[in-house]
Amino acid sequence: MLPIRRSIALASVVLLAGFALAQRDYEDVDPTGQTVVFWHQHGGVREAGLQEIVAAFNADNPYDITVNAEYQGSYPEIFQKMLLLVGTPDAPNLVVAYQDQAAAYAFADGVIDIRTFLDSERWGFDADDFDDFFPGFIASDVNPVLGGQLLGFPPNRSVEVMYHNLDWIAELGFDGPATTPEAFEEQACAAAEHGFSGSVTGGRSLGYEMTLDASRFASWTFAFGGDVFDVETNRYTFASDAAIAAMTFLQDLFERGCADIVTERFGDQTNFGLGTTLFTVGSSSALPFYRDAVEAGANFDWSVGAVPHTTQEPVANVYGASVSITAGHAPEAELATWLFVRYFTSTEAQAAWARASNYFPVRASVAADLGDYFAAEPAYETAFGLLPFGVSEPVAPGYAFVRDLVAAEMGAIVEGADVVTSLSRLTDEANRILLDQLADLD
Amino acid sequence: MTGYAFVLPATIVIGVFGLFPIGYAIYMSVHRWRIRRGAFVGFDQFERILGDGFGFALLLAGLLSIALGHWLWTSALAGRGARWLLVGKVGAALTLVASGVAMALGYGLMRQTGDARFLDGLQRTFLYGAISVPVQIGLALVLAALLFQPLRGRALYRMLFFLPYVTPAVAGAAVFRAIFSPREERLANTVVGAFGIEPQRWLFEHRPVGQLVFGDFAARFGIELTGILAGPSLALLVIIMFGIWTYVGYNAVIFLAGLGAIPKDLYEAAEIDGATGVQRFWAITVPLLAPVTFYLTVLGFIGTFQAFTHLYVMRESAVRGAVDTASLVIFDTFYALNDFGLAAAQSLVLFAVILAITLLQQRLFGRRALRA
Repeated sequence: MLPIRRSIALASVVLLAGFALAQRDYEDVDPTGQTVVFWHQHGGVREAGLQEIVAAFNADNPYDITVNAEYQGSYPEIFQKMLLLVGTPDAPNLVVAYQDQAAAYAFADGVIDIRTFLDSERWGFDADDFDDFFPGFIASDVNPVLGGQLLGFPPNRSVEVMYHNLDWIAELGFDGPATTPEAFEEQACAAAEHGFSGSVTGGRSLGYEMTLDASRFASWTFAFGGDVFDVETNRYTFASDAAIAAMTFLQDLFERGCADIVTERFGDQTNFGLGTTLFTVGSSSALPFYRDAVEAGANFDWSVGAVPHTTQEPVANVYGASVSITAGHAPEAELATWLFVRYFTSTEAQAAWARASNYFPVRASVAADLGDYFAAEPAYETAFGLLPFGVSEPVAPGYAFVRDLVAAEMGAIVEGADVVTSLSRLTDEANRILLDQLADLD
Repeated sequence: MTGYAFVLPATIVIGVFGLFPIGYAIYMSVHRWRIRRGAFVGFDQFERILGDGFGFALLLAGLLSIALGHWLWTSALAGRGARWLLVGKVGAALTLVASGVAMALGYGLMRQTGDARFLDGLQRTFLYGAISVPVQIGLALVLAALLFQPLRGRALYRMLFFLPYVTPAVAGAAVFRAIFSPREERLANTVVGAFGIEPQRWLFEHRPVGQLVFGDFAARFGIELTGILAGPSLALLVIIMFGIWTYVGYNAVIFLAGLGAIPKDLYEAAEIDGATGVQRFWAITVPLLAPVTFYLTVLGFIGTFQAFTHLYVMRESAVRGAVDTASLVIFDTFYALNDFGLAAAQSLVLFAVILAITLLQQRLFGRRALRA
């Protein structure tokens, strides 16, 4: 019920905000001949795939729009560059941005509310086309604390999944991977005691290796039936009953020696591949890296599944950066930018992008074109099946900083700190930061 | 006019790249500024950092008391009679105790009412500098004295010791991360394991070194080692070691240049007088290198207060901010909280602290160094 409730709440915010905010009129704007600069963080195979999509758009669009997709470093690097350019004509027309980054740009009136285009009869999607998008995906770009503006549009998403070693689970005498926290604890602790026979290193075995990260915190809290942000009050809820239960569960797992934190970059992937870690939780976009790690390591049968949950249905943490259209450019350029975004999120482009990037497409219909890909990557199909159960993390400004606080408190909790005290302190601090941010909006 | 024309290029460069940024930082610091400029707030940002004025005033009074204590002590030793010696020494001791109490109280009040994150960062920066700089300079001096001897392959050794300085900080820090990983099989844990010490968490350890080493012993007497007395966290100590590793070679090269400038006849005369090698080192080398030592100390403190890259690369969430020095806090305020006004004010406070320390060093050691 949780995803549905959240989607309805967010959709209501969108509708209400639609009446409240003035919109620029693009109906009579002519985007012919415009050049669009797109800053992104994709490298390697993903960049090649993106450039193909861009080339197809440049060749076929009827307005002779030219898109220049430029690699500009990692997400933080792009964000740092953008902070100095946002709201100026020197900013790119289109930029990848996490939701909280887009919210930061909004402080300088540096991004356009994309509903302006969605609502356009001439430039928006028709109703059937729009319904093809996974509803939670677009909702995750709606910023409830900034008047419900749609500050970005999703070209892709990932989902947090639990990676598991099927051979080891069978070896331990279990029928299948854990779907509940109790089963997870039982299997993880059994794995910590009985190493995997196929392990490459034969070193210390672990049930679960966890990165100290706000997305892990959110995933476990969602799985325990809670949330980390209340969209009705616009406040963080890190000390909810579900969050306390989730963190107490993890603390117990660590105290029993069944779990440990990840201490080296991608150490969980490496150890999973070597057959010394039974479970990890991470982004579905890492599937190819896990596959490589397993093939180079203990070469066992593995798969992914939902994070073990207490809810009736699984709840999956869906996330990913969107693209934001920057303000400060001519209306013709802004419209041209939107037309590229519309193309990028079309069924055709999404199928190509999903194959190239291993991200999930944002349209349900794209699955029909991915049959062969699903057959080749069964874990990808399994993770794709979790999308209808998606919930997203907060989009509040300042969330980047709050994420660091969450990670730090997780570190304290797994070392034995009092869960309630830690989470209450975290909630107070996070909400203080949020209020401080919002004070500057007035 | 010719003179002005000669200084004009330098004036322009210093003005544009030196003074303008400082001026602009001052301008930002007196505004609310979250990505875009907001209302003029005067000194509110500084109040957010330093808390209400009373704590800060108490801290300043404590610092001034140290100066007073120093003056009393030096006056007492200046030979004005036995009575004055006693009064001066007792007065200096009492003043120093009072200054310690005032600073502790003042800092406590500032933390309560000001920006605890930044103030703690500043405290860590002091610890970082106070440990790192003397060790760097001491090791460099010894190293330079050794390398100054007619050793075979001296040039090679000089190059090897200088290498860490030219190694990119990110690459060096990545290697340190691997060495000081909490994994049992990694190098640092293998080495301590050889001495029967349990594997340590190193860069993931937020607890202070004093607590780790003496915690159990102190607990027997009901004492809990906390705060600055407990020292830096183990994670910060590893980072300090990285800083020392990086700069020792550079400092040694500067010392070598200084050693080359000491007249050899001084050593010959001392040798004829029967001075041992150690005596020559303490009586000739160390005093005559005082200007170089002073220069490296000033640069070292400024460098540690501005240190950023390796700290940024090596910090972990697990240490809960235990390695966040002032420069990291400023970075987070700017890029994660996007509070440009507060970040500018924090930068200016750090600037003022660096300036004060530099002036203090100049006052305490500068003249002595110049005399040498």
